Amino acid sequence: MTLRSSNDKSRRFRTLSLTGLVLFGAAISPLAARGQFLHPKISKKETTIRNVVIMPAKVEVVRDSMKGPEGMAAESEDLSARVEKMVGEVMSKQKHITTLSAPAPSSAEGNSQAKYNVADFQTKFNDLLPKIMKKRSDVKKGRFTMGDEVLNLNLDKSADAIIFIRGQGQKLTSGKKTFQVLVGGMPAYLKLMIGIVDARNGEVLLYTDPILVGDPTTAVDRLRKALEKGFKKLPAGS
Amino acid sequence: MKTFSQRKLLAATLFLCVGLGVLTPAAFSQKKKAPAEAVPPPVNEEFKFGKVDLELLDQVDLLDRRFERDGLVLEGEATNAYLERIGNSLVPKGLTLEHVKWKFRALRDPQPNAFALPNGSIYVTTGLMSLLENESQLASVLAHELTHVMRRHTYLQNRSNRRKFLTMNIMAAVGAYAPGGVVGAVITIVTTIAPFIVTATIYGYSRDLEREADLKGIDMMISAEYPPEEMVKVMKLLNKDIEGEEIRLFYNDHPALQERINYLSSYLGARADKITPQMELNRETAAYFHGMEPVMRHDIQLSISAGRFRSAVYLAQRLVDFHADSENVFCLAEAYRTLGPRSPQLTEGESTNSAKKEAAKKREKRTVEEEERELLAKPAGQENSKAHQQKAEELYLRALSVGEPEPVAHRGLGMLYEKLSRTNDAISEYEKYVELAPMAVDHERIQKRIEALRRPPQ
Repeated sequence: MTLRSSNDKSRRFRTLSLTGLVLFGAAISPLAARGQFLHPKISKKETTIRNVVIMPAKVEVVRDSMKGPEGMAAESEDLSARVEKMVGEVMSKQKHITTLSAPAPSSAEGNSQAKYNVADFQTKFNDLLPKIMKKRSDVKKGRFTMGDEVLNLNLDKSADAIIFIRGQGQKLTSGKKTFQVLVGGMPAYLKLMIGIVDARNGEVLLYTDPILVGDPTTAVDRLRKALEKGFKKLPAGS
Repeated sequence: MKTFSQRKLLAATLFLCVGLGVLTPAAFSQKKKAPAEAVPPPVNEEFKFGKVDLELLDQVDLLDRRFERDGLVLEGEATNAYLERIGNSLVPKGLTLEHVKWKFRALRDPQPNAFALPNGSIYVTTGLMSLLENESQLASVLAHELTHVMRRHTYLQNRSNRRKFLTMNIMAAVGAYAPGGVVGAVITIVTTIAPFIVTATIYGYSRDLEREADLKGIDMMISAEYPPEEMVKVMKLLNKDIEGEEIRLFYNDHPALQERINYLSSYLGARADKITPQMELNRETAAYFHGMEPVMRHDIQLSISAGRFRSAVYLAQRLVDFHADSENVFCLAEAYRTLGPRSPQLTEGESTNSAKKEAAKKREKRTVEEEERELLAKPAGQENSKAHQQKAEELYLRALSVGEPEPVAHRGLGMLYEKLSRTNDAISEYEKYVELAPMAVDHERIQKRIEALRRPPQ
């Protein structure tokens, strides 16, 4: 009994150490691509994505200082634009998928309804995202859809899919970095949540959430690598 | 290190303290009765801008631009002009404040709320505008928010938060309350620009500052000839729990509403007795509803999109009771069709705190379609669904028979019949719609539906 208990303890200790090591490794790794989940239509190659429309990305970063998180509105906008552009480049170079022009709200000036349509569709994705994130593997079962309302966006007829990009991250001030060296805490990071939705019926075809550790506003190469890894399973367009 | 439940508790406490944006019920809990003379002057003249304040100002200017750019601001000229008129009538004449430019806008958001940014931009959601009953109530909301700007509450709260380190936990608070819908988009944007504003402007300031805004708001209402007791009525309206949202837990657990009403009533005292003819005019519901009809219709559609089906039925019914034209009857039909197997009001079982908590958890996990399937598996859900489908059909037909019929009613009927597997009827209604509205934004969508219905089953 005592021996068994001691064995159990030792095994538990080894397991804990190993888990700790893996977690530590993941935390310090410069970049890490997490799961990619493909709809059966994509994994069985019943549907091929050749042309996509990328919706305006919404990537939000904050500066974590000793006095709490501070907004980085301008930097968030720059980063959103950079991520959006880079996703297009990865699609084109790695997957031979063409990016078509998006129905950007700014291009719909004077047309409130078109602007609202885009805004409401972005909101609809925001609503669906937490549900996908709760059970990402259900994308493989074809559980998630945004409905045929996608057609209301009136995209280019050749568009096969729509890409929605969300992201959140934090940058640390030097004070906070020093503080974290001493007591630990979340490092600077950027987590992206990307969904690819069928442009004809709204089904979620792919969900991927690449994450990179490092300053999200400056880590350009890491971002590109994280995105390349994030779309690794997506079949090429042609 | 805080556990998840501790963080939830912290979030709950934060909410409890700051309440819901405009007229936070947390302020009800003020134990002392404030004598009228305790109310400070309308403008905080001692306030001097520091570096931190100017940084915040830059961020909120960006916030304003993002609301506009992201399609969250309602671009209705008449609505904006109406808000500007009421807002400007409340601002003391000749008042100029450093770094403040007054702007009053409606935010496309079905959650009833309002907030002021320190640069003078005041936002009222379409959800709140639709819930109110007259112009005076809207004025009370604006007066309350104006006080936050005039007394520089956002800057003061920012400084205080930074001192207290409170913002460290704001993200946890926001994370604990993920309302979804357009309000989610607003909160996401605000969180990025200035995280503390989420608790301060969206959820409410500290009790003292909210109380100050209430009392100063009343003075401003009287000066602009709005009956001040309408502020108390707004609080009662805000306390309506149509959706059974978890946020109401904080009201239910807190014996605060009566206290807030008490201190306001006590402050009102003789002030409420002097009713002028202009005040009576401002209390007119019909005039308000007449001006608000387009906003209300817009909000009903937003409510449906955000899954706030009960609110949609409630607001649409009020609208039809006021003016039963084709457009309004169509809104009610849409609200009933999308309500589906849900009950129109919260049932007794759904009204308890634990049931609301459970419902909030489920909302995070299930899609609307899954929720409907689950409800339809029960007899009550089937009964509701049948009754609402009948009601929706009657209303669509009525919308097509009154005044200038709305072609969208054909689309609604088509969707209803498609759900009922009445394929030929659905095709016929869809065809009428595409014929009558060839330029509609959903033309292609409906054409595709017709094609799919015509396709022989495989």
